[in-house]
Amino acid sequence: MSDNQQGEVRIDSEVDIVTVRKAVREIAQQIGFGATDITRIVTSASELARNVFNYAGVGAMHWNRLKQNGSIGIELIFIDNGPGIPDIEQALTPGYSTMKSLGMGLSGAKRLMGEMEIESAPGKVTKVKIRKWIGRY
Amino acid sequence: MNIVTISVVKVRDVLLVTVPPEPDDSTISQLQENILLAMERHDPKGLILDISTVETLDSYFARTIVETSEMVALMGGRTIIAGMQPNVAITVTQLGLTMGNAKSALDVDRALDMLEVG
Repeated sequence: MSDNQQGEVRIDSEVDIVTVRKAVREIAQQIGFGATDITRIVTSASELARNVFNYAGVGAMHWNRLKQNGSIGIELIFIDNGPGIPDIEQALTPGYSTMKSLGMGLSGAKRLMGEMEIESAPGKVTKVKIRKWIGRY
Repeated sequence: MNIVTISVVKVRDVLLVTVPPEPDDSTISQLQENILLAMERHDPKGLILDISTVETLDSYFARTIVETSEMVALMGGRTIIAGMQPNVAITVTQLGLTMGNAKSALDVDRALDMLEVG
């Protein structure tokens, strides 16, 4: 995937959460993020990949290298055909979870990344998009 | 599923576990079971979780650590998390995670001191 501008990682099983982490770490390193940002990005990706697996069973992560007005960054889009998020605002409340989990994944990933967009409705494709730029906070 | 086997070693009067850099969920949950079985077998003062090579500590991993330390406490032991990397500490805090009643130490040496088994 070395010089690609975009790619996809399938999420078919629980082990793919680790596959996603490894792919994201490699891409973020190539883009040139610092060590702390890499940890933030990989940890966010781990939370969102787990959501795909837990709620939908299968899905995918698309990644894009970003270039805009001289800034470079990374975009990760988590896509699944699961039940969808009925109330996005509620889902982003720290501690809220419909599963036996801490409920910190979605809100935490938003905080770590800075930019997050969620497209979801019951019965429709769920897309969670996160972005981070080098040197922008 | 390829579950990475993590050994639970008894040193002096404690259990020492070295967690690999990128454990998957089933490895982590298997580890919890192995730790509790080793607690019963060895009756140690406590548990040291060496996470100095761990690069990603997300909410699932954190929850399992907190749960494990509560279970170890119920069995009469103390849990010390040793060697968290700076990047991981920053990320865990910003993610909004806490480690419950588990104590932390800079490294395994200091964790051994805290458990008074030096």
